Amino acid sequence: MVISSFVSTSLRFLLILALVISVCPQVAWAQADDAPLFRADRINALILVVVFCSTILLYTRWAKQGKSLFLRKIPGLDEVEEAVGRATEMGRPVLFIPGIGELDEIETIAAISILGRVARITAQYETPLMVPVRYPLVLAAGQEVVEQAYIEMGKGDSYDKDTVRYVAGEQWAFTATVNGYMMRERPATNIYMGAFFAESLLLAETGNAAGSIQIAGTARPEQLPFFIAACDYTLMGEELYAASAYLSREPVMTGGLKGQDFIKMVIIVLVIVGVILATFGVGDWYVHLFREV
Amino acid sequence: MDIWQRIEKLDRRWIYLAVGVTVVLPFLFPSPLPISITPEARSLYDAVEALPDGSNVMLVYDYYPAAIAECEPIAIAALHHLFRKNCKVITLSNIPYGGPSMAERVTRLMGNKYGKVYGVDYVNLGYKYGYVAVLSGMGQSIESIFPTDNSGTPLAQLPLMDSVKNYSNIAFVFEIADNATADYWVSIVNAQYGVPMGCGGTAVMAPKFYAYVASGQFVGLLGGMRGAAEYEILVGKEADAVRGMQAQSLVHMLIIAMVVLGNIGFFFSRRRLKRGTA
Amino acid sequence: MRTTVPIVVAFIAGLLSVVGFFFRTDTFLGSVRQEFLVWLTIVGGFTLLLGVVSIVRVNWTAVVRKKPGWQYKILTLVAVFAMALPSVLPSSKSPLLGRAEGSIYDWLFNYLQSPMMMTMFATLAFYIASAAYRAFRARSPEATLLLITAILIMLWRVPMGEAFLDLLPGHIAQLLNTYVMNGVNMAVQRGIIIGAALGAASMSLRIMLGIERTYLGKS
Repeated sequence: MVISSFVSTSLRFLLILALVISVCPQVAWAQADDAPLFRADRINALILVVVFCSTILLYTRWAKQGKSLFLRKIPGLDEVEEAVGRATEMGRPVLFIPGIGELDEIETIAAISILGRVARITAQYETPLMVPVRYPLVLAAGQEVVEQAYIEMGKGDSYDKDTVRYVAGEQWAFTATVNGYMMRERPATNIYMGAFFAESLLLAETGNAAGSIQIAGTARPEQLPFFIAACDYTLMGEELYAASAYLSREPVMTGGLKGQDFIKMVIIVLVIVGVILATFGVGDWYVHLFREV
Repeated sequence: MDIWQRIEKLDRRWIYLAVGVTVVLPFLFPSPLPISITPEARSLYDAVEALPDGSNVMLVYDYYPAAIAECEPIAIAALHHLFRKNCKVITLSNIPYGGPSMAERVTRLMGNKYGKVYGVDYVNLGYKYGYVAVLSGMGQSIESIFPTDNSGTPLAQLPLMDSVKNYSNIAFVFEIADNATADYWVSIVNAQYGVPMGCGGTAVMAPKFYAYVASGQFVGLLGGMRGAAEYEILVGKEADAVRGMQAQSLVHMLIIAMVVLGNIGFFFSRRRLKRGTA
Repeated sequence: MRTTVPIVVAFIAGLLSVVGFFFRTDTFLGSVRQEFLVWLTIVGGFTLLLGVVSIVRVNWTAVVRKKPGWQYKILTLVAVFAMALPSVLPSSKSPLLGRAEGSIYDWLFNYLQSPMMMTMFATLAFYIASAAYRAFRARSPEATLLLITAILIMLWRVPMGEAFLDLLPGHIAQLLNTYVMNGVNMAVQRGIIIGAALGAASMSLRIMLGIERTYLGKS
């Protein structure tokens, strides 16, 4: 059953791929010469892409069919609602920073997705929310997501257009403004989710000085040590991308997450096999499989 | 609050003051110490040294002005090395905030020192939005992404660019980065087009780049001001980075001393608390 | 329509990019892919313009409505135009115009903007010191391991510390480079990079298939 579902999903994906491939090249074979058009040296990447996409789609389909999928606890995300509750009790705002990346960065999209969930909680508790952003497109996306969250929670009237505000386009100007806000308004909860660069420690340390509880999440490994040192909870790497699925528990999102985990298991097995083969000195052919053929 | 609690909860402003004084002292009382060369810096130097004279090299200024202190010494040392070998240098930047300006200033400064001619020995392509698109697009045609250089001169009017059409004409990419654009250079330029690459970056980015060095995607790595100092020593042009290491040494020692002090305060106040509750 | 068209465009652009990767660049598919990349740089340039328009609009509104701190908004607007206008005017008219050395833009960048950015970056040194003082406490075995590793790496990275390590028996500096930086650190970084890359790929797939619509402002 499992194998047949996997095979049928893979075959469907390959069929769509083959259709696209067959249509496009036919328009102009004019540049064709004796060399093959298809890059056979990238076949290993093609196999990985097909397996990856099929797995994600398969698990998504299973999730839609109602199959229950286990997600391990992510402490930082479990604390979000409590942290917002703390802010409500203290009568202080929640500060959410969706990173300082542009909207075309995957981390920013993940952060905006999490913002939607957080906005639902702040709408429910009627806690003031402040979302400073660095780019106009992020401003537009953030405003729509927060407004929609408030409307869905039946609190459309209490939505403030200035909740999501454009602060500055330059990294350090943004940081200086947000730091100033933290020291003046003393938010009870700071949530940093998305792409952060050198300003991560400045933000987190200032938030710590202001006495805020802080939850951070970034896929940038070089910024993780700063968040871990200065924040109460930190989401590392792909936990940021998992956050949206984790908070919403929507089947479609959860299925994608499980698919990712399956592929990670496959990679782990491949690495272990490679390590064993290399230890016994017979790993060259195996390594060659993952290079260009 | 007893002395141990005071030490444990020391006002951060005292720490700031101590750091400020410690940074200034070495500039008033210089005391240079020998700097050893790490294998990663050595292999990057050797890789550039092994390039045939006159090779086309892409020098990428992927750092913000904020990181000038760590990254510009790397750029200057790299240009010493490349111009000494009469390499043709093509510079560009994926950083909109001053990247092309820094590339222009530094490269022209070094070019003038070595009597190099703009357009013949070096070219500054400038900046274009969308680093993924830029890096992928240059694989087929540099001119399609950068029709003109940073000053607006069409590439067709620059003699150097007659022989540099895409990555197949580039012998080496020297990436200087303070952010994750280096990841895209690895995954697009090195992985897909096989162009050898070396990297210099801030100390914050260096731990991440070790993974690329170990896999052979970077031939070498210069990490932060320490890496810049090593490269300056290797090319025989000791300058800002070597001088800056003195201040960095003292500050590191200060931080270690403060961490130890903080832990002493932590232990003694915890012991006192336990005795108090016992 | 407002939702469907972007999703269709995202799907086609994503699919062509992925499929084009497996074909030679001199095919029609490769040309289309290349064209998309060029379009991206052009469209992206307009988003930078959008940033300037947003800055002017937000700050001008604050000045007109006399919001708190409106005087600083005037300074912001003056700074924007003082830097932008001279840089786009032709340098043939005056050496102060354009972006070449000696121009207004160049002077403002080198003597105002760069030092300000470097100053903010430099404050990290102070913040790191206070964060290290607060965070590096031997509260638990893991925290103690973190503390010891941090101290050793801080020593290793500076000449003074290396000289101190060389006094101790064993080649500690080389051991740190081999087993900590090229061993544990490298393995952990790889794990995070692989995990983050898979997460990004999964998210990209969801965007391509229209499952993830956050970029449209829809949750």
